[in-house]
Amino acid sequence: MRIAKSFLYVLGLPALLVLIWWLSTLGATSFFVPTPGTLASTFAKTWFGDRIFTDVLPSILRLLAGVSAAIILGILAGLLIGSIPWLRALTEPVLEFFRAVPPPVLVPVLMLLMGISDSMKVVVIISGCIWPVLLNTIEGVRAIDGVLSDSAHTYGIGGWARVRYLVLPSAGPQILAGVRQCLSIGLILMVISEMFASSSGLGFTIVQFQRSFAVPEMWSGIVILGLIGVAMSFIFQFTERRILRWYYGLREVENAV
Amino acid sequence: MQSDINQNPDLAGSPGATTGAGRTMTGGKAMLSVQGLKKVYQTDGGPVEAVRNLTFDLRAGELACLVGPSGSGKTTLLKCISGLMAPTEGEVLLDGTKVTGPPKKMAVVFQEYGRSLFPWMRVRENVELPLKNQGMPKAERDRLVDEALEAVGLSHVPLSYPWQLSGGMQQRVAIARAVAYQPEVLLMDEPFAAVDAQTRADLEDLIRTVWKKLGVTVLFVTHDIDESVYLGERVIILSSSPTVVQEDLIIDLPAERDQLNTRALPRFTELRHHVYEQIQLAKTGHRPAAASH
Repeated sequence: MRIAKSFLYVLGLPALLVLIWWLSTLGATSFFVPTPGTLASTFAKTWFGDRIFTDVLPSILRLLAGVSAAIILGILAGLLIGSIPWLRALTEPVLEFFRAVPPPVLVPVLMLLMGISDSMKVVVIISGCIWPVLLNTIEGVRAIDGVLSDSAHTYGIGGWARVRYLVLPSAGPQILAGVRQCLSIGLILMVISEMFASSSGLGFTIVQFQRSFAVPEMWSGIVILGLIGVAMSFIFQFTERRILRWYYGLREVENAV
Repeated sequence: MQSDINQNPDLAGSPGATTGAGRTMTGGKAMLSVQGLKKVYQTDGGPVEAVRNLTFDLRAGELACLVGPSGSGKTTLLKCISGLMAPTEGEVLLDGTKVTGPPKKMAVVFQEYGRSLFPWMRVRENVELPLKNQGMPKAERDRLVDEALEAVGLSHVPLSYPWQLSGGMQQRVAIARAVAYQPEVLLMDEPFAAVDAQTRADLEDLIRTVWKKLGVTVLFVTHDIDESVYLGERVIILSSSPTVVQEDLIIDLPAERDQLNTRALPRFTELRHHVYEQIQLAKTGHRPAAASH
């Protein structure tokens, strides 16, 4: 019963939106807006075939590579910068500068420097989505409770043990908030990195469809992007709930008081 | 009543009682020795002297309470003793060795139980962590953790998170963590200031029990005069800031103490009265004669 209920909650609104879309395209003949039926059949025709291997998977792999590298580098650098006050003071203005630079403008430059390659695309993704992880980690490390830190210190917990048992869990909520932003920025940059000069990938394919006026195909590509986004968000939420179970529990208790 | 105490040779006649320093021992027999400790904070508004000159010794297995008016530098002193902060002058010796960082033989229980336990770890993991960090084998670790949780009466909640427990129970977890660590010196920084009165009485008895069982040296910082007299074998009264020892008082109550009878003893009332007067004097700026220079 409860499963059925949550299932209804998840699918209720999407079903309603599709229904409205279907009703409003009944009898309409707009070239640019396909009916749900057309889109569904185009979707299957376009993507269930070679394109999965030539375009969808390579894009997803680049996205995963870029996002995981950004998360790992962001957390490592954040731990370092957050733990050393002088390093933080030194790097903060520079980090703010780089964060403010919109990553799409880097695409042409990186293309020149690195050539049109997978690694160029991964670097574009990293260059955009490392910032929320990095800055949030720095903030999280800095905000560790003094009493908690003293407790760890008096029990001889230092070095790597301190990072593992105190710093990482304590900064966890903030780090994961950064990761959430990082994922959505990553998806955007995956598409953008493939739009400029590329011969494969989702972004490339969608642009191709646009230029050849293959409108339903273009829409089906956009649907794929949306689905990837939804899948990432579900995986993220699932993971976050497990890692931060203590945090949500603690907050609930604090709010109840 | 106060004059009784001053005429008591055990108390007023004791060395150091009115000279701005507490009792000291000769020949390096002290477990914990605080010598000429001074702490000056450098602030934007100029230097602030939190502790001027503190000297006292604790022998092994002693339970001493430290009381003082608020703002008398109790927390500063504790941070210096526990090695979390370096004193400006003077030194702290633990079993003859100078304290330069948090020593292995010492455990600290903080007032803010909610902020001293790791909220992402369960009760058992919290107690176990310091031992695990030392690389102690699992079997021995398990035994110590079980014993410690048993000793504080928490063997039924090892899988709870600290924040799922009441304040008193959280402080018990912190005490269990300290006990399992097997320290030779246990420092407690106003550990019961934030729990309700009934829980507090239970926890006071718990401390007496644990102390007797383990034979550990305890320095218990509090601002509660009744608590200091009830718990301690000795009460070290601090002056107001800049801090020196106002008086070092022996608590000659029977070793077996309980909340009802001990607190009803005439001697308890006398001692309590005396400490109260000393604190009032300290608040008005009265200082031991030798400390005014």
